[in-house]
Amino acid sequence: MQRQFEVTRRDGAARLGTLRWRGEELTTPSSFDSKEELEALIALTIHSAELDVAVITNQEDYRAERIDADVVILGGAARFSDDPRGLTKALVRARESTNPDSALYAPALATPNNVSLLVYAGVDLVDPIMAEVKAREGYLLSAEGERQFDAISRSYCLCDACRGVNVADLTPEQRVTLLSAHNRQALKAELCIVRENIERGTLRELVEARCRTAPMLTALLRLLDEEHSYFERRSPIVRTATLLACSQESLNRPEILRFGERVIERLNKRGGILILLPCSARKPYSRSRSHRIILNRLGKLRQFLHEAIITSPIGIVPRGLEIMYPASNYDIPVTGKWTCDESEWVIGRLTKYLEANAFDTVVAHVSDPYRKVCDEAAAALGVDLIYTVEDENILGSASLQRLCAVVQELIVEDSPKRRDLRFDYLQDLADYEFGPHASTAIFAERTKVRGLFPTYYASDGGTRIATIVGTYCTLALTIEGARRYLRASENRYCVHIDDFVPKGTVFAIGVLNADPGIRPFDEVIVLNERVIAVGRALMSGWEMQASKRGAAVAVRHVDAR
Amino acid sequence: MRTGRTSRRRYPRQAASETSGHRTHDRFAWTGLDLLNGEIVPSLTILLTTKGCSWARRDGCTMCGYIADSNPDAQSSDIQKQLFEVLARYGTGFKIAKLFTSGSFLDQEEVPIDARDAILSALADTPKVIVESRPEFVTSEILDDVVRSNRHLEVAIGLETSNDDIRNSCINKGFTFRDFVRASKVAHSKGLTVKAYLLLKPPFLTELEALEDAIQSTHDAAPHADTISLNLCNVQKGTLVEALWKKRLYRPPWLWTAVEVLKRVKQMATLICDPVGGGTARGPHNCGKCDRQVVSEIKEFSLSQDSTSFTAACTDQLLWKYVLEFEKFSYGAPLVP
Repeated sequence: MQRQFEVTRRDGAARLGTLRWRGEELTTPSSFDSKEELEALIALTIHSAELDVAVITNQEDYRAERIDADVVILGGAARFSDDPRGLTKALVRARESTNPDSALYAPALATPNNVSLLVYAGVDLVDPIMAEVKAREGYLLSAEGERQFDAISRSYCLCDACRGVNVADLTPEQRVTLLSAHNRQALKAELCIVRENIERGTLRELVEARCRTAPMLTALLRLLDEEHSYFERRSPIVRTATLLACSQESLNRPEILRFGERVIERLNKRGGILILLPCSARKPYSRSRSHRIILNRLGKLRQFLHEAIITSPIGIVPRGLEIMYPASNYDIPVTGKWTCDESEWVIGRLTKYLEANAFDTVVAHVSDPYRKVCDEAAAALGVDLIYTVEDENILGSASLQRLCAVVQELIVEDSPKRRDLRFDYLQDLADYEFGPHASTAIFAERTKVRGLFPTYYASDGGTRIATIVGTYCTLALTIEGARRYLRASENRYCVHIDDFVPKGTVFAIGVLNADPGIRPFDEVIVLNERVIAVGRALMSGWEMQASKRGAAVAVRHVDAR
Repeated sequence: MRTGRTSRRRYPRQAASETSGHRTHDRFAWTGLDLLNGEIVPSLTILLTTKGCSWARRDGCTMCGYIADSNPDAQSSDIQKQLFEVLARYGTGFKIAKLFTSGSFLDQEEVPIDARDAILSALADTPKVIVESRPEFVTSEILDDVVRSNRHLEVAIGLETSNDDIRNSCINKGFTFRDFVRASKVAHSKGLTVKAYLLLKPPFLTELEALEDAIQSTHDAAPHADTISLNLCNVQKGTLVEALWKKRLYRPPWLWTAVEVLKRVKQMATLICDPVGGGTARGPHNCGKCDRQVVSEIKEFSLSQDSTSFTAACTDQLLWKYVLEFEKFSYGAPLVP
């Protein structure tokens, strides 16, 4: 049967999609509107004529096979309206046990207040039933929460339903009519905002704001964050939107945790001298005034140093990854003080980073609060760091002088020295994107780096191997790069397709097999018996395998195998 | 099933205040007012602790938790002793006696023959004695025996609904409408009267389905019953209904639904309703503001049989009407707690 739901854009578990039914195209996330539509849907649960509809409940155990329907209804979802734990479990289960191109409908649950979180957690379809119930309970709903209508002396709302109405004159029936119209309008308006935020990749920022309005919603977001793998499996590797880390929950964003994990697990282990620097407001860090001054001052000494930046909430950013999301575009409230959670998180990251690598010496050119973080991490590991900042001023001439002197002193005749600092970017990005030792497989001893920051490219004897591409600063492999990677990697980041020559876009229906580790916007290698191609994934690898609709890979280059 | 009476365990406080109940170590009895041939007369309700309902011991109904009140070791002498102690306490000023065991009074396994006959003989002069029983124990043979001890017997049967699908799937009652009709015919042929208990809102039904089922059942049961008692489902400990209620997959009926049923059915039989636990979370309830008044109007109706008793109005009726219309779209959860 032809699928009637297609996902067009993904942002974590949330997505934009198109549902075709009753001769119309509904852009999801969306709300059913009329009783007629709800009746039609119930009828379809019995006779799946135009749309395949399945009802699931939380009691159901995981089945080996994913439930496959155009629309999956989470039966009795309304019972979780005050139960964030139950809701988290139910939604995660519902999505994990159904096909990725099924739309998830949570009946009788949505309000303007909670709908952004529902969508964030993976709901595609809602209805105005709860808004209507609240209207009859006397509540005026908005994205910020609910208010007893009686408690409002004058209507403060400017919507069509409320404008110019004298609250005191209303009969109970008129009141319900007004509240119902207002509440439905508020739900629709919030859904518009939600869709717009998915489009921009900023839904997380919206839900962090919305969850503040009710303890239940804050609890819901925190519990959802505990479902790390559920969200990580659906989170894009890069975004154009700036990550705004304005709340305690920001520390638990899937992409921040993933970045931290990959820095430790994927990057080449290092030795020698490490210099720790504080972050800067301007990104990438090396374009900021403070970093330019320090780096200029270090000059040629840099080739003996590994550089890493300490930052909240990302943790530790090795220099080569400063152009990679989220290190390349995030913003935090700067007050000169870190919260306990922030410090603790960054201390943990630094400790892990120092533990995983084998540096001979660590020089910390930092002032407070970074200094405290370094102290704690050093104490935890029982090592000594060399501090080079005097008078709390990282750019002071005394500090810079001391930094250079310290580094000079640490360098001995046979200290390992790198021939090209630009190579750090290519190497770190390759390992970060394609897994440990990818850089060793892709780049050779004689590989040359050219190009302007940050879009460097690597070539070997005139053949280009890999390029850092502009929009997201990901490392894209050429066909030659892909061939080299394939020799070492055994199907990682590979998408095996049916026997056709891909042009432009590979659709999920044509995918035979894909590395489940692929994430949206990952650079991938597309293969069949005849051809090899490189391109950018548009959905996760496991999703390519399970989906029947949607674009899976945007192909860049194709060549005979 | 006996949702139509106050359980000693479930609502002790309410029972005490409403019926000036009297409690001894293992029995409970109270006086009240009931209808007898159109007249309001004093009644005495007696709970007898037996070894428990035969069906509950084997399988059990989804809403009934009375088995928890039974005593597996109850002997014939214990049951008789309970009755005579109550009679000694309350005298004989009542016109109706209601004997409620935790199951079927006519089941010889549950109430041994000697106890049964002794109890019924003791109440031989009471104008009406109501006992409860599943239809399988309402046989010609057993009734011939009991009428020898007492001719004023009314057999109350927990029909719950006239819909066999609902009775089997939602209630797990284990008998059919035909079983009830047969039992009722037998009872009538022996000159006894019959009372049918109907359950308003078994689990797994929406409010509207429950409303429609209760109305249909009343019409279906009326030709076979002299009295119909509409029992509003309440949440008893240790039942499936309680498990569903805790998961917010069940809500006891709205009092408005009960009022609607009482107003809408054609008066073919005496129609009574005691909203046990009315106004509490575990019992039938409305918004909380109007519950007390609606409960008392329902009780008034049970005595007067006059539907003009219902005068209460509240803004939550708009919500209740919406729930009737839209609850099915939630696919299993009540819209309002």
